[in-house]
Amino acid sequence: MSVAFLLGAFLVVLGGICDLFGAIGLLKFPNFYVRLHAATVGTIGGAVVPLFGVSMLALGAGFPHRYAVAGASFITGVIVLLVAPAGATALAYAAHRSGVVEWKPKVDHLREARK
Amino acid sequence: MKRLAGLIIVLLIVLTVSCYVSRMVPPQKNLHPLGEFYLQNSYFGRYSAKSPEAVTSIVWDYRGVDTLFETAVFFLAIIGSLTLFRLNKGQAEEAKRGEPKLELPGPVATVTKVTVAMILAVSASIALHGQLTPGGGFQGGSALAVAPLLIIAVYTKYALEKNGLDKTRAIIIRSIGLLGIALTALVPLLLGGYIMQNQPIFPAKALGVPLGGSLVFYNFFEYLAVGAGFTAVFLLLSIPEEKFRKFLGVRR
Repeated sequence: MSVAFLLGAFLVVLGGICDLFGAIGLLKFPNFYVRLHAATVGTIGGAVVPLFGVSMLALGAGFPHRYAVAGASFITGVIVLLVAPAGATALAYAAHRSGVVEWKPKVDHLREARK
Repeated sequence: MKRLAGLIIVLLIVLTVSCYVSRMVPPQKNLHPLGEFYLQNSYFGRYSAKSPEAVTSIVWDYRGVDTLFETAVFFLAIIGSLTLFRLNKGQAEEAKRGEPKLELPGPVATVTKVTVAMILAVSASIALHGQLTPGGGFQGGSALAVAPLLIIAVYTKYALEKNGLDKTRAIIIRSIGLLGIALTALVPLLLGGYIMQNQPIFPAKALGVPLGGSLVFYNFFEYLAVGAGFTAVFLLLSIPEEKFRKFLGVRR
């Protein structure tokens, strides 16, 4: 077992744990914005980290065409890594603009900055 | 607490049964006759597709006519939606009039630009490697159609039309794809084969890479046709509702 294989397995397990935490947060958190945070934990921690893990697993294992598998999962990971925060930003922005979500801030830095 | 106990019991039972069953099933040493048939007819045989990706060679080679009719059904559906949204010349001009404007925060726009380029590359690789790896024309085309959809969502449809990809061009690209599929199916007839014949007629390899004979042509043209067809429908669906109310003469 090479170092890359072990590291990849660790990342996959870590991704599973992140997914579990994201799911619990999505069910238990009080309002939309904090739930959105939990959902992003689920996508970054639960999809990007295991995808990088899979690419390391493939590099560490000895099966044929492993570079194709490693490259494909790495590229998919990079795309999700870019897209998930942008999607969360767009969702939060749209929810804030349209005012469909209940909004009871303790501090509102945006309003202070706009003053 | 009671629910948790039930959950744990169910989990334990499932784990035990799966461990027990996985020990009972011995690892497969020989090929099934069915698997041998598929390998023989997708890669090794003289009249096979010479493609290591068995699914693509089934779909486009020895079940090819079925796929041809599936493609026809999909394109009839697209033609149906195009007819539903039929506009005359003035109305089409009116539907295109508008300024692209960005209503989302800056980082979203930057990420969209980067992602659209990546989607184009990834979808092309899905379609053009369809004879080597899982994937193919329809899958690649569907991935390609995500790129204009993202641009419509972030920059509005006018940005797409200002940069030259309007409904007419999308339909032209789609027709080129369809024509390509039809020609690839008909070429063997000219060379003395039967319709949609693959192997001795189309080249099996180029520069050492397996091409799968006609599979690469079918995948490429299907990629163009599906991507452009979806793009045309998305462009029509993103026409604002007020404009349609005006065209149809609806009063509130």
